[in-house]
Amino acid sequence: MTPPSLAPTAAGFGLPDYVTRRPSGFYRSLNPATKLAVAALEVVAAFTISGWLGPALVLATLAATAAGSRTLRGLMVVGLAALPLVVSIMVVNLFLLPGASDPIAHVGPLAPTWSGLRFGLLTAARLLAFSSAVALAYLTTPVDDLLADMSRRGLGRRGVFVVGAAVQMVPRTIERVGEIMDAQRARGMDTEGRIWRRARGVVPLAAPVVFGALAEVEERTMALESRAFTAPGRQTLLRTPPDRTIDSVLRWLALAGVLAIVALRLTGRIG
Amino acid sequence: MTSPDSAAPAPSIEFASVSFAYPDGTRALTDVELRIQPGESLAIVGQNGSGKSTLVRHINGLLRPATGRVLIDGRDIRQTHVARLAGLVGLAFQNPDRQLFAGSASAEVAFGPRNLGLRGSALEARVREALEDVGLGEETATNPYDLGYSRRKLLALASVLAMRTPILILDEPTTGQDARGVARVRGVVARAAGEGRTLIAISHDMRFVAESFRRVVVMRAGRVVLDGAPDAVFAETAWGALRAAYLEPPLPAVAGARLGLGATPTDGEFVAALEVATPPRTQNR
Repeated sequence: MTPPSLAPTAAGFGLPDYVTRRPSGFYRSLNPATKLAVAALEVVAAFTISGWLGPALVLATLAATAAGSRTLRGLMVVGLAALPLVVSIMVVNLFLLPGASDPIAHVGPLAPTWSGLRFGLLTAARLLAFSSAVALAYLTTPVDDLLADMSRRGLGRRGVFVVGAAVQMVPRTIERVGEIMDAQRARGMDTEGRIWRRARGVVPLAAPVVFGALAEVEERTMALESRAFTAPGRQTLLRTPPDRTIDSVLRWLALAGVLAIVALRLTGRIG
Repeated sequence: MTSPDSAAPAPSIEFASVSFAYPDGTRALTDVELRIQPGESLAIVGQNGSGKSTLVRHINGLLRPATGRVLIDGRDIRQTHVARLAGLVGLAFQNPDRQLFAGSASAEVAFGPRNLGLRGSALEARVREALEDVGLGEETATNPYDLGYSRRKLLALASVLAMRTPILILDEPTTGQDARGVARVRGVVARAAGEGRTLIAISHDMRFVAESFRRVVVMRAGRVVLDGAPDAVFAETAWGALRAAYLEPPLPAVAGARLGLGATPTDGEFVAALEVATPPRTQNR
């Protein structure tokens, strides 16, 4: 029996575009595991190299990589999203750093300190480096590529599902909230008026988000089951992201880098 | 803008050279020129991504044009809050699950008119009437999530009907409905049109469009490419433009053209044309 042929939508392969597409640019075209390894190296460097050198080096590298892969704007959004946490870190350290005794000024009973300011800024820079490193890998990697690569490397189906659901949860929820807000505003809910009027909109916004998410979980579970999700045997992957020699080299270099930084730190050569 | 208790006359709507692009750069509307007269019933059709939903979301201020103006009764609505426009423009969204939140059907339907200031027995009457209009009169105390999808969709429609806005916009109202549900929607459309409200529907259901609306606007890639009465838009001469927009004319229009009966976009027009063209058979027994 002749198998059904696929429409020749991608030149030469007879496969749909989403199967054969290749990401453009050096960083984007790296294997997802390579990007995660590089991100791990950056995080370790930011937190382990003492003083400003670690976070400054990592943030500069991230900015250059983001500019090269055209994700600088996305990375800035991530930075803005981390702003409340950064502010709280600054406030807590500025006023409450234990043992700090070099006040900048006295504001009533409070005395912000220079040590607190320095420590707060350093911690905030490290946090920013951490979130930006992870975000850059996320922003430059299609979710299906990440999951396909995890499957190829032997992560079980349930593991892949859990990772996929977690990674997709944030953008899906943002999209859902946007639509729900539009629907409720169209029914006269005030999201632009006084704060107490806006507060009344919490339930009309939150309830469809929660109910919708629960209904989606049930539907998704049934859809997966109906497509043999729990069937025994090895899965056939429609597409796997490329894993070239340069990926292997970069991963080994990242591992070596992590080990070197940790060793230098333990021997006291970097702080 | 209008009291929810009053049956305000429908205003005119005008898109004056409206263009819009989403933040990711997707250009959704390009120089749209469209004037909708008070009380018109109009269907907007086009392939997915052609700009239909983007267009109607400009009417109640959910989206604002990048360039051009949207005028309601001659007034630019750029500065008008959505909550204020909600008294004038009712928009029933395609997916009911993106709006239902209350513990009962009646509370859900009461949400909109209450936001517009309606209270007490007037509100109760409005809710009851809207639920009956969509065939859910017996379900006032039912939790919306205990209703099936098609009935949840009718409930979402009722929740907008209850606001009794002079402009009513329905986004894919017949999707997911069985024949009885489609008949309900048709009834709602006919009643709203009969009351002189301006009615705008987005639909992929060409039969519903041809049967229920007096004007059809075809969109493609953010532009209006056809605009006219159903018999003109679904006439054989327009099929090329329709197919370019990935649309098929309704079956009676195709059958009428094949049989040389002229433009017959609805079942009724097709049958009438067929009866005129075919002499009645005499029984010779």
